[in-house]
Parts: sequence; structure tokens; C-alpha cells
Amino acid sequence: MVGPETAVMTVEMIEASQLGTQAISAAIAISLTGLSTAIAEYGIGSAALGAAAENRDLFGMGLVLTAIPETIVIFGLIVALLILF
Amino acid sequence: MPAMIGPSHYIYVCTRLRARKAKLIPRDEYIRMLNMGLPEITRLIQETTYKREIDELSTSFSGIDLIEVSLSWNLAKEYQTILKILPRPLQHLTSSYLRRWDIQNVLTILRGKDQGLPAGRIKEVLVPAGELDRALQDRLLMEDTSAKIVEMLKGWRLYPVLSREFAEAEESGRFARLENELYKKFYADVVADARAVRGGRAFIDYVQLEIDIRNLQSLFRLRAAGEKGDLREFMIPGGSVSVEELQRLSAIEDLDEFIDAMKTQVTERPLLALLDDLKQQGSLKGRSLQETEIVLTRIKLAQMERMSKAHPFSIWPILAYLELKKYEVFKLRTITRGKEANLSPECIRSYLVM
Repeated sequence: MVGPETAVMTVEMIEASQLGTQAISAAIAISLTGLSTAIAEYGIGSAALGAAAENRDLFGMGLVLTAIPETIVIFGLIVALLILF
Repeated sequence: MPAMIGPSHYIYVCTRLRARKAKLIPRDEYIRMLNMGLPEITRLIQETTYKREIDELSTSFSGIDLIEVSLSWNLAKEYQTILKILPRPLQHLTSSYLRRWDIQNVLTILRGKDQGLPAGRIKEVLVPAGELDRALQDRLLMEDTSAKIVEMLKGWRLYPVLSREFAEAEESGRFARLENELYKKFYADVVADARAVRGGRAFIDYVQLEIDIRNLQSLFRLRAAGEKGDLREFMIPGGSVSVEELQRLSAIEDLDEFIDAMKTQVTERPLLALLDDLKQQGSLKGRSLQETEIVLTRIKLAQMERMSKAHPFSIWPILAYLELKKYEVFKLRTITRGKEANLSPECIRSYLVM
């Protein structure tokens, strides 16, 4: 049987818990966007490489297209920073 | 090339072949070629992807023969290059697709020898794109008699059919039945191979489409020849319409009625679309056999194109490219041979699949 004194939370405990939730949220934001970027770049990168293998002029265009999904992870980074600070 | 994990290899290869497809000679170029002389056409071909082969072979061949051999070599080299970059399951399916060239090459050698042509002349039209490589083909060409050639092919997977049918073909001097039997076995093997591979469904769909087209072509040819009896031996089993059903359909006199009857038999979308297209081309009654065949081939290529867009990272874009490349070579060969024989541009054009 848990006594009533154990259920009391101190302000320090609440602050620590909030900080933990913030850190987990920031981690979710950055990891999910990171994964999404990886999935997007995986397909685009393979296709870009295929196109560049046949036509060298397409290399620059392929590089730009491959880098575009980086914006997703940048959004995630911004959200993570906003959560933390 | 290093092995890639997952579907990235499919994406890489299919994009590569799409880029190659974009490099094929466009339709307008063929129309321009029709109005050119043979030297101009040769020069134009030399400016395209065939340049290397023409340069390599120019010391051994000249004129129209140079073009002919360069085209064949380029086609074979292209097929072998593609095989090297494909992921393993697709490599397996594509090499079984390419084995048809072995049948064509063996029959060309046998027919050539039968007619007493010199080895050099026969070699010009061989396309070493299948399993029987150039070295073996050269050895076959060195043989004096057809029987010895057949004997040398003992290790070939179609040898049992070849040895069974060859005696009759040699005796009668007609290789048509031998050819039919080889293709029947080839298609049966291809389907069996595809069933054993993961993801072979799309390939089986393609093989079925091809069998259906071939059977339709055979039916149209037999109708044109006025053949009425038992047509089952000319049909390839394994298509979406059974051989018995094709035999029954062949009895229908009217061509449009025949297409309608055929439509009730098929469930596969590619073939239904094909038959719809065939009907939309207008009545086939006024068309010559050659025109009908070209329509069928064009529809097949269009269907392959459609399927390669619907399944962008599958065997379809690869097969579509291989077929388009084959027809590019056929078209160039038709134009150059036609020009050499002084045929009119209209006449040559009627033989082109455009």
C-alpha cells in the first residue's frame, strides 16, 4: 500500500519531468525527420546516380535534387531547437 | 559494380535505362533518313551510338555490310552491358529473355549452311546476344555440315528439341516446324524460370503478352495464307488464350467479329487494351498482312511503354528498352537495305515500326 506522502511531487520533480519530455519531443522531431530525409534521398540519390551514369551533364541537377529533402531534417532541427530553448 | 541493398539498385538501373531510351534515334530522324542517300545515312549512323562499332569494323567490312555487322554487334554489346548492371533477379529474367537470340542464331546458321552460303555472309546477320557466345558461333560456322553443327550444340538447353526435329527439317529442307518447336520450348522454359524467381510475375505478364501477340500474328498469317485446318501446331501454349480456344476462334471468318470473340476470352488488361487499340485502328479488312503485323508490334511496344510507366521500378522498363533498341536496329537495317535495293521511301516506310 502506497502512503499519501509518496504521491506528492515537488516543484523540482515537475521541472525535471518537463525537461525530460522536452528532450524526448526534440529527439522524436529530429529522428523522424532524419529518417524521412534518408528515405527520400535514398530513392532520389539512386535515380540521380543512374541518370548521371548515362549523361554526365545531369550530375549537377541530380546533386541538387538529392539535397532538396535535406530541408525536411532542417525543419525537424528548427522544431527541436524551439522545443529545447 | 558494388552490390546495392534493397530497391535502390532497381531505381538506379531503371533510371539508367530510361536515360538510354531517351538517347534512341527519334522518329523524325528516320523520316529524314528515308529521303537521304546511303552514304549520308551511313554518316548519320556513324554520328550516333554505333560510331565505335563502325570504326572498329571498318577495316574488315565496307558499305552496307559494315552497317549490318555494326548494328548487330552494337545490339549484342548493348544487351551484354545491360545484363552486367542489372540486379540479380532481373539479370536472371533478362538473360532468359535474351535466349531467344540463340534460336535465331542457330536457325540462321543452319539455314545458311543448308543454302550453301559462305560463313562470312552468315556471320554478318548473327547477333551474339544470347548464351551461345561469339566464339561458339565461330566454331559452328567453321563446320561443314548441319549435322555436325547440331552435334556441337549438345550442351545447349534446347538441344533435345533440336536433335528431335532436325532430321525431318534437314530432309524436307524446311525449318519452319523446327523453329516453331524451339520457340514453344523456349517460352515454356522462360515461364518456368520466371516462376522460380521472386518478383517474376511482371515478367510472366510480359511473356504472356508476347505469346498472345505471336499467336495473333500467326493467326493473321495463316488467315492470309488461307489455311483452315488444324492450326494448333502453329500456336504457342502459355498465352492468356488457350491453343484450343485459338483454334476455335480461327474458324470465324470476319476479322472484326474475330476480335470481338477474342475479347470475350481474355481477362488480362494488356491484351484487352491491345484488342481495343486494334479495333480503334479501324477495320483490319483493308489492311495488308504486313500492315497488320506492324500495327500489332506497335501496339505491343505502346503497351510495354504503358506498363513500364505503371511499374517504373520493375522488369518492364528494362524489357521496353531492350525491345525499342531491337526495333531501332531493325529500322536502321530496313532503311539501309531498302536504300541499297533502290526501293522508294514510301515502300521502305511501310516496313518500319514507327
